[in-house]
Amino acid sequence: MRFNKRLLVVWVILASLTLAYLWIDHTGADSSGALRSSALITPGVIVIALVKVRIIFREFMEVRQAPVLLCRLTDAWVVLIGVVLLSCYFIGVAIR
Amino acid sequence: MTSDLAETTKRVRSVPGQPDMWAFVLFETLVFTAYFGFYLFYRARSPELFLHAQAQLDLRIGVLNTLVLVLSSWSVARCVQSARAGAYGPALRDASLTALFAVVFLCVKVSEWVRLSSEGNGFDSNDFFTYYYFLTGIHFVHLLIGFVVLGVVVYQLRSPARRDQQLVETCATYWHTVDFLWVLIFALLYVVR
Amino acid sequence: MSAVITPAASVAAPPSRPLYRRIAWHWRHDPKRELWLAWWMLVVFYSLFWLMFFVITRVQPPPQPAADLAAQVHYFRVRHLGIPVGFAVIFCIGGMIATNNALIAYSMRRMSVSPAFAYSYLIMYSLSAIPGLLLLCIALIVGTLRPERDPEAISWLYDFAFLSFDGTMGVFLIGSLIWMLAILLDKNRVFPKWFGYLNLCNGLTEVVVAPCWIFRRGVLAWNGQIAWWLDMVVFGVYTGAFIYLLRSMILREDFGTGPLPELKPGRPDPKAAA
Repeated sequence: MRFNKRLLVVWVILASLTLAYLWIDHTGADSSGALRSSALITPGVIVIALVKVRIIFREFMEVRQAPVLLCRLTDAWVVLIGVVLLSCYFIGVAIR
Repeated sequence: MTSDLAETTKRVRSVPGQPDMWAFVLFETLVFTAYFGFYLFYRARSPELFLHAQAQLDLRIGVLNTLVLVLSSWSVARCVQSARAGAYGPALRDASLTALFAVVFLCVKVSEWVRLSSEGNGFDSNDFFTYYYFLTGIHFVHLLIGFVVLGVVVYQLRSPARRDQQLVETCATYWHTVDFLWVLIFALLYVVR
Repeated sequence: MSAVITPAASVAAPPSRPLYRRIAWHWRHDPKRELWLAWWMLVVFYSLFWLMFFVITRVQPPPQPAADLAAQVHYFRVRHLGIPVGFAVIFCIGGMIATNNALIAYSMRRMSVSPAFAYSYLIMYSLSAIPGLLLLCIALIVGTLRPERDPEAISWLYDFAFLSFDGTMGVFLIGSLIWMLAILLDKNRVFPKWFGYLNLCNGLTEVVVAPCWIFRRGVLAWNGQIAWWLDMVVFGVYTGAFIYLLRSMILREDFGTGPLPELKPGRPDPKAAA
């Protein structure tokens, strides 16, 4: 079925984005293998997660074929989550 | 609107499942976003403490759990499409597959909790682990409710007298929510530095 | 139609003015007067509740669990008048909890589900007033009665009050789930399904308060951002929703056993002027 292939492709994309985290983790560690805090990695990780969430909304939850209002609403939600998370993080960093 | 219809599938644009479930999904997402916001704020204020505690987590286990849960989302999405096309046999198989993936996730999660607690990283050991157990715990509760929801799907699909497509889609929407909430939790607890 | 409804021929529409005559008409002729009475009592109760807890006694938002003995004694001293006065009012209106729960149970009786839902909810929530409200009131009043009491005893009352109020969520959780289940199974469309799901949200945020038994500081303490503040936001939305929906139910009520008719947009409000 045509739709099932599409779903499988979507899963492969989501899985690749998940595995990309392993790569980020590997490059983010310093020479001794210990973790380092990074104001670059954290927002990047959050954005990748939100991309995955949007893909889940549009493909798995079938928002792509839903009324335009729902498309806009879910997109707005993804943006809202991003804004809240990044703000909390950067405000926390600023008043450390 | 009509040009959209012509361009996309022949199906009329309709809300997948009950709009009420979407209201729940969006509201619950806001609540979780608030939890995440607090976590990130306090994490940013004491990065070394959180970083040191986070090193106790095994990223590969988190990746495995994420892949498994996204697979369960894939199988439930397939289930909805099969049911829509009238193929109830394959749909039931996909629903069972979803439950199976969820059980795998559950087992991996519980074994991770057991391992961490036995190493001394319990609920009240430090701030990071408080958030860790709290977020994974409340997600776990949502997953358990997901089993009830999957039960409703199976119950609907089994008998020709029921098979309410909207209800099946509603349940699938709930399941996907459990999945994307985990995607966010995983990123924030395991990967964020 | 039920025989309870007064035949239209003998009673005209309510007089449009003055207001006191309209109220008198409703008091004597409106078949839904008990329901409206219960609903208005619900509104009055929650208004007074909010006023007493947040303004008069100032026991909500809750204080810090990690406060030392001196701070706890000071807490009671500063509220030595507010607490007795505010909670005296709460004890007077406490009986309204019964009518609130009865109205909610009534909504479940109107549904197509078993009466067991309504009865179990009623029993649970009647009992829940004890840990969920009265224990806090009593403990805090006892604390303010004798300021010269041993600080350790005052500290005990302080912990007991707030732990019992914020920590005993099990009753409310199960109650929410009962109402949720009734709404989702209901075929009479008494409440919209989204409110059923909101019950689940409310129940889950209450589960999240349970860790306050363990933590004395941080987001999960009894005054924490997650355990109290966020929970209050969700609870506020939930309470506002059910007050509005109960009103809608009463407006739509036809005293039958089938699906409740929807409110027609152009139809005049039966309580408003004809």
